[in-house]
Amino acid sequence: MSESLILDVRNVTKRYDSLEVLKGITLGLKKGETKVVIGPSGSGKSTLLRCINHLTTPDSGEIYLDGEEIRDANINAMRARMGFVFQDFNLFSHLNVLDNVRICQMKVKGADKKAATHRTEQELARVGLEEKAGAYPAELSGGQQQRVSIARALAMDPVVLLFDEPTSALDPELTGEVVRVMQQLAADGMTMVVVTHEMSFARQAADEIIFMENGHIVEQGSPDAMFTSANNERTRAFLNVIADHG
Amino acid sequence: MDIYDVLLRDFPFLLKGLGVALVLLALLLVMGFILGLAICLIQLYGPRSRFIQWPLIAYERVFRGIPIIIMLFIFYYGMSGLLDITSFGAAVLALGFRSSAYQSQIFRSAFQSVPAGQMMAARAMGMSKLKAIRHILFPQAARHAIGPWTNEFSSEIKETSLAYVIGVVELTRQAHYIITSTQGNVLTVFAVVALLYFIVNRAGNSALYAFERKLAVPGFEK
Repeated sequence: MSESLILDVRNVTKRYDSLEVLKGITLGLKKGETKVVIGPSGSGKSTLLRCINHLTTPDSGEIYLDGEEIRDANINAMRARMGFVFQDFNLFSHLNVLDNVRICQMKVKGADKKAATHRTEQELARVGLEEKAGAYPAELSGGQQQRVSIARALAMDPVVLLFDEPTSALDPELTGEVVRVMQQLAADGMTMVVVTHEMSFARQAADEIIFMENGHIVEQGSPDAMFTSANNERTRAFLNVIADHG
Repeated sequence: MDIYDVLLRDFPFLLKGLGVALVLLALLLVMGFILGLAICLIQLYGPRSRFIQWPLIAYERVFRGIPIIIMLFIFYYGMSGLLDITSFGAAVLALGFRSSAYQSQIFRSAFQSVPAGQMMAARAMGMSKLKAIRHILFPQAARHAIGPWTNEFSSEIKETSLAYVIGVVELTRQAHYIITSTQGNVLTVFAVVALLYFIVNRAGNSALYAFERKLAVPGFEK
């Protein structure tokens, strides 16, 4: 069963002192699927994402990437196959855009400079920032930085892309450019887990929407099902609030 | 013979003393750098076990808490019972260990001022801790470290003159020899010596300042 799943998360729990943040989360992604995780603050959705690539170590449960279990022993190799896009972009501030996208190709995957540069140019073109290759992160807008960070993740040829509230730190007029890139990625068949408040993206690009609250998955289903006729009262309440505030 | 003839005759000795001081300075700074960086990295990114962390804290406190002269005496007179050590060697060790304690603090502060997200992003892309430190953190920490390190450099230049007390024939001791042999004009000789230290200090500071500007990243105010 787990062989057909690119990402297989089983019963992951996480607690901080007395606070149980994740109370047993199970989810699976097939190749090419895009799943969007929504929910109120404190629901554990960001913690879940960080547990998937062990940025936060889960207390219990197993996570399989393409059939192989993620453990401390193979964590670097596993992470090299999972792209992660942070809310705060986290571009390497001492490197220009070109080097930002190149460095892990060269230092982690061992690519030579020529191949890495070529790949970098491809990914920068994909996110619409080819002409910014020589710029430094501090010289870019938030939306541009986030697109570079997506290019950086893509250049590693990831098997799955994880997005942790990618537009939450952006001014409203800059979210569009990032959401468009993400929608195109989903349409191109990238396997993605996206934690976001961007409902437009969820409706348009998600294969499944997962609603989390208080460390549980309350409900999950296709966008149509969730938005028009969610079963759970809490889900409906949450989605109504989001709809009202646009 | 007046003082100026004396100075002219003895200036080569002063320069020789300066040379010794500079070699001492270079050695102690390199020793301090390597040890200081190693201590800093273990404290920040190494094993959390208290058997490793507590000795490092103790080391730092001891070497920053004892007067330099006492340290020099301990390493020279204290150690000469145990092994054959020259005064120069003792000076390098004493000042080197002390500098490593100060430099480890400088580096720790520098690494801690790099935003935590940088390490997270590097690890999230598959870099090991060591690779992340080397390629991502160290270049950024270096920029934060230069300012305080320049202060340390200035301090150490002046502190090499203390090696005088265990007999190292560096600049200060050479000056002392000249004064005892000419019996007078103390002020003039020491003024020249002070000028030499000052020049080395200024030259070093300028070089470090130029280095800092070279490393500056476009777009960053600081």
